[in-house]
Amino acid sequence: MQLDENLPTATATAAPAVSMKLLLRDAGIGIALVLLILFFALTTDHFLSPNNISNILTQITINLILAIGMTFVILIGGIDLSVGSMLAFCAVVGGSVLTIPDLSVFQAVSLATLAAVGTGALCGFLNGWISAFWGLPSFIVTLGMLNIARGAALQVTDARTIYSFPPSFNAFGSQMIYGVPVVFLIALALVAIAWFVLSKTVFGRLLYGIGNNEEAVRLAGHSLMTYKIAAFTIAGVLVGIAAMVYMARLNIASPIIGIGFELNAIAAVIIGGTSLSGGRGSVIGTLLGACIIGVLANGLILFGLSDFMRQLITGVVIILAVIIDKYRERITAA
Amino acid sequence: MNTNLAHVDSVAQPLLELHDIRKRFGGTVALAGVTLSVAPGEVHGLIGENGAGKSTLIKVLCGIVKPDSGAITLAGEAYAPHTPRDAKARGLQVVHQEFNLLPFLSVAENIFIEHLPRNALGVVKRRDMNTRARTALDAIGLKDIDVRWPVERLGIAHRQLVEVARALMTESRVLILDEPTATLTSRETERLFAIIDDLRRRGVSIIFVSHHLDEVFKLCDRVTVLRNGETVTSRRIGETTQDELVRAMVGQQLQKEMTHSIGSSARSETVLSLVNFRHAQSPHEDGISFDLHKGEILGIAGLVGSGRTELLRAIFAAEPPLSGTLMRDGKPAALRSPRDAIRAGIGFVTEDRKEEGLILSMPIAANVTMASLADVSRAGLLDQRAENALTEKLGADLKLKYGGPGKNAATLSGGNQQKVVLAKWLARKPEILLLDEPTRGVDVGAKAEIYALIRRLAERGLALLVVSSELPELMTLCDRIMVMSQHRIVGSLPRAEFSEEKILTYAYQGEKRQTGH
Repeated sequence: MQLDENLPTATATAAPAVSMKLLLRDAGIGIALVLLILFFALTTDHFLSPNNISNILTQITINLILAIGMTFVILIGGIDLSVGSMLAFCAVVGGSVLTIPDLSVFQAVSLATLAAVGTGALCGFLNGWISAFWGLPSFIVTLGMLNIARGAALQVTDARTIYSFPPSFNAFGSQMIYGVPVVFLIALALVAIAWFVLSKTVFGRLLYGIGNNEEAVRLAGHSLMTYKIAAFTIAGVLVGIAAMVYMARLNIASPIIGIGFELNAIAAVIIGGTSLSGGRGSVIGTLLGACIIGVLANGLILFGLSDFMRQLITGVVIILAVIIDKYRERITAA
Repeated sequence: MNTNLAHVDSVAQPLLELHDIRKRFGGTVALAGVTLSVAPGEVHGLIGENGAGKSTLIKVLCGIVKPDSGAITLAGEAYAPHTPRDAKARGLQVVHQEFNLLPFLSVAENIFIEHLPRNALGVVKRRDMNTRARTALDAIGLKDIDVRWPVERLGIAHRQLVEVARALMTESRVLILDEPTATLTSRETERLFAIIDDLRRRGVSIIFVSHHLDEVFKLCDRVTVLRNGETVTSRRIGETTQDELVRAMVGQQLQKEMTHSIGSSARSETVLSLVNFRHAQSPHEDGISFDLHKGEILGIAGLVGSGRTELLRAIFAAEPPLSGTLMRDGKPAALRSPRDAIRAGIGFVTEDRKEEGLILSMPIAANVTMASLADVSRAGLLDQRAENALTEKLGADLKLKYGGPGKNAATLSGGNQQKVVLAKWLARKPEILLLDEPTRGVDVGAKAEIYALIRRLAERGLALLVVSSELPELMTLCDRIMVMSQHRIVGSLPRAEFSEEKILTYAYQGEKRQTGH
């Protein structure tokens, strides 16, 4: 029977435009970050010292780069659990190239970057293709990739650590411009590019569309598979970049690095206000989310809490963020 | 069925009696005075058009919906169930149209799901359960399935019969069957009818909801017709005819004036033509064949489940078609995805706006341009200004009432949301537009505007294929109406021959006509 019990009752109301809403959402997270910074500035001695700030920015960088890629995946309603393992795999592949003898530093670094990013892209492509082609939940597929990439990294290196990279490469990793780590500036540039792609291109529009209503996008004549694969591949490319940054900073590539990094990346995205069910969120939010996690980690230690307590409190913040998101959803829906 | 005389007497002491039941949902009147009485051991047919109130009435009887007013008595006592459990305790059971089985549990577990036989420790007595389930299935003649099989393994018809078996586990005085034959083949229908006959002999009253009049005549002792939520008539089956019932369902509505002047009867060129076109759900090998012409508004009428939506989805390749030919402008076209269909100049306004048509939480402009992003972008970069301009232009064309292109589609009323969906397709300048229930959930004003728009599009040369459950809608809009029944086209009427009666006769008797060929 066709009783219209669920007639839409919404009429045109004076709801603020979406971009405005998105802005407000990011502003809310920004305010939380500022309050957090104020708190630590007032309660600890060295929080705002230039040294400590560079420290925080350096610590944030890897997670931020991974979280940018994660944002693409979560926006289409997926998840990527494999980025930590992929980081190790990309790093050992890149590291092996980096230590090939008789290459100039420039050659070595460019080839290594190509190798690391290519490895990440390939793993990401597989994640996307397998889950899109067979219609599998990305949760499971990337759980598989988590093991595959880790196993591959251990196999390739025979569980050994790769080190002694070109000294100038390592120097680059700790380079500062006015006290700001260059690697963080790279991450910021990536945020800017991702923001542009997501908000100004047809590609970005369709990613948001897919996250909101896959069927409507499909019936409007778009191939879901292409866009899903692309989102996961982008996440993989960013893992490759993060692997290069990792090696530049720490001067090693080991098959056991990156364990649990995927969880921090997901946390940054979620704290940044991107909905786990997809379709809502922004990479600016992700930037703020990564900053909140970094500030908390650093500030709580300065505050005199143990690393255990830091972990505990970060967990609480993640759950709080999701609860707040639930309310935001309700407000947006109203 | 030789017991008719006995029933006439027993109606004086009905088992179930409903008096003037009314129910509103917000502004929609679902039941406007249903009066009905069922004698013990009687099979009572309940018929009416889509939306006449049958489903709501069943929900009232099984305690899902509370009526606003009216009285029900069961076996002489007041009956007002609050939950389906209450209803069951009083001996009233419903076998629903939608299946309520748990696919991964066994047939026996499904049958006993409400009262699994347990021992003192709370462990399920599996052997006991299986034996009793076996007995239950044997009782309805389902000897060919094993009670340990997961329901998943059963075909749809067997599942339906398992539902019946489950309903029979509890002693019922009244059993309501909501379109039980919709998914059954004729052999299985026979089996079900035998079961019903047996129940009748045991004194169980049965309310039999069906779209198939011939079944009602074969099985029922009496029949009640609902129209617009009201009881129109209750008749002994021997004292009425199919034609009379169809007239009762339609009512003495005035024929709509034919305000719409038809273009010259000389047909212009054929833009879409199906030849033996089949999709995954179509049961007939010869599929569906028809032609759609330039500037034509072709309606498809039929009951829910007759395969109208599936046909549109297959034409649009939302599900890839199975076999047959689809000719576009006289040339065979292999459409494998919506993308192909759109490239071939076809647009599709789906039945379900929220699930398939719109992205409610995205801006109106984004929805309007969703199918024509190439027109509002350069090298993959969105041109916001072009996007807004296109939205405003189409918005003005369609008299869209909205706050601005940047507002979410969710902020719009039903009618305006539908206009956004239409705008999305018009932005592509299609040559063929498929419309599935184009005015569902749309208020009267917007409805008239959508009608006017559809006519204007036809005058501009678009070919439109319109599926609707509202006959007056089709009769106002269309140049020609095809009637579907059970995935076949069973009749086609030119405008001069439109009448609700004719259409419904085709729709209800489709099955019979087909077998008569």
